[in-house]
Amino acid sequence: MIEVKNVTKKYANITAVNNISFDVKDGEIVGFLGQNGAGKTTTMNMITGFIEPTEGKIIVNGYDISKKSKKAKKQIGYMPEGVPLYMELTVKEFITYMAELKLLKGEQKKEDVAKVIKETGLTNVQNKLIRNLSRGYKQRVSLAGTLVGNPEVIILDEPTVGLDPKQITEIRSLIKELGKNHTVILSSHILSEISQICERVIIINNGKIVAIDTPENLEKKTKEKNTLFVTVEDPKGNMPTLKQRVPQIEEIKFLKDNEDNTKQYAITSNIQLDLRKVLFEVLPKEEITIFELKKDESSLEEAYIKLIDSDKQEQTSNETNENRKNKKKGNKATKEEKEKLKEEKKKQKEKQNEEKAKKKEAKEKEKKEKQEEKNKLKEENKKEGGKK
Amino acid sequence: MLSIYKKELKSYFLSPIGYVAIGIFLFIFSLIFLLAIFYNGAYDMGNLYYNTARFGLLIIIPIISMRMFSEERKNGTEQLLLTSPRSITEIILGKFLAAATLVVIILAFSLMYYVILCFFTKPSLGPTLISMLGFLLVAMAAISAGMFISSITENQVIAAVLTFVLLFIPDLTGLIPMLNLMESYMKFPAGLVSLSEVVSLLAYMIMFTLFTIIIMQRRKSVK
Repeated sequence: MIEVKNVTKKYANITAVNNISFDVKDGEIVGFLGQNGAGKTTTMNMITGFIEPTEGKIIVNGYDISKKSKKAKKQIGYMPEGVPLYMELTVKEFITYMAELKLLKGEQKKEDVAKVIKETGLTNVQNKLIRNLSRGYKQRVSLAGTLVGNPEVIILDEPTVGLDPKQITEIRSLIKELGKNHTVILSSHILSEISQICERVIIINNGKIVAIDTPENLEKKTKEKNTLFVTVEDPKGNMPTLKQRVPQIEEIKFLKDNEDNTKQYAITSNIQLDLRKVLFEVLPKEEITIFELKKDESSLEEAYIKLIDSDKQEQTSNETNENRKNKKKGNKATKEEKEKLKEEKKKQKEKQNEEKAKKKEAKEKEKKEKQEEKNKLKEENKKEGGKK
Repeated sequence: MLSIYKKELKSYFLSPIGYVAIGIFLFIFSLIFLLAIFYNGAYDMGNLYYNTARFGLLIIIPIISMRMFSEERKNGTEQLLLTSPRSITEIILGKFLAAATLVVIILAFSLMYYVILCFFTKPSLGPTLISMLGFLLVAMAAISAGMFISSITENQVIAAVLTFVLLFIPDLTGLIPMLNLMESYMKFPAGLVSLSEVVSLLAYMIMFTLFTIIIMQRRKSVK
């Protein structure tokens, strides 16, 4: 459905998106995840044809967005970030205008507008001016404008920003519904949102794709150990020595004493091992009663943070290497420059000395000449005096 | 293009802009009409349109054109237009023709002075209509310049001021006669259709419309 091939977007010296490639299949809900300024919106703007990539190709349903933009854009419904709307229009006027922009005409236009108004729950406010609506309704109007014309691809840039929790759940369930008949790409920096709605996640950091996978796989990949939380009643205090009975356990960590005389421990083991069954068998033999045994569900948030951090570390190590190289180059350069400066100074001093010597000579000459003239004058005066 | 045209025309009257433009035009037109009647004791519809074009358009056109693209850009609604299957040329022409239609509506109001004169004398309709046609062409050329300015900034005030400067400076200084629209509105007020004036006004209009298309196309790769 959507193919993004080696796409790069540069602004003067800044690379907003750096050589990214991915594809989105028919009927898939894909989430863009990344911090602010990571390149999510830029990528979406390029897919929708709002901006052109500096390099690379984007194909939407078989049409190149740069070459056959009209046909490609016809397949897309885009809800931009910040919910831009024509405030002076009523809800119905706005959605009708969006339908007209998407080349809908006549009866089909009327039917589509009515259908979308109903779907997004705007029937009661359809004749109200958009400027008088609440933020949640404005978001719905924007979504309705995106859905009108029944586009095959729906692109939503941070669709739940600024909504209250009830509105968020409504919009999320609506997006899930849309995913049944459409291909949906949505961006968010809310991790739980992505993990709830999306089948696949694309994590972007500094314009680069850090990972593409299902939320579950991303969690697994970034998990290093398996952790179990056990709440037990252990009157004989056998828990700390459990490691001897179950050698697969790597660590037993006491967490807390509960009010009901139970204790909570965290038991870690190798990622590939699931010790739940073993613990259920061994603990009763040790006269330990299990009150609760829970697997640590490492959230997507941890996976995301780990991925971003590892990417940052890579970048900083690359940068520091470059800096070192540059510094070395810089040191060499400065040494050469210093030597040059020294030579120049020497030459200047030599010139100055030469000039001084010349000036001295000239002065001495002048003095000699003056003295000679004086002597001559004296001699002449003496001679004249003698004659008189 | 029709849908963009309709929406744009509607927007002029959903905001104060359409009414303000009509009000300013009628104020200047009436003032010049009164001055001509009471001080000169004569009427000349051609002269009336010429003077209104010279002084009135300097104010009316920046008001009409300042929001054409600046507002869309500032509010982000530009994204809705540019990600739709409509071409940039369609969008620009839709907006341009809507602004031109507003000038036609403004001109329609000026006909009431013709009707008033009909009670006292027999003003000739032909030259009046030719003067109006010339006025419309000058206004459309000025709109194209204003539209171009509006496409390069997202600040409406800056767009209005720059449009005013672009229209006023060539007329004031006489420099760059090619950009002086009043140079091409000399024979129309006399009731004559001059081919050279029509061509130069059309050339001005096409030049700035093309500039706007180029700017909008280029913004796709720059922004």
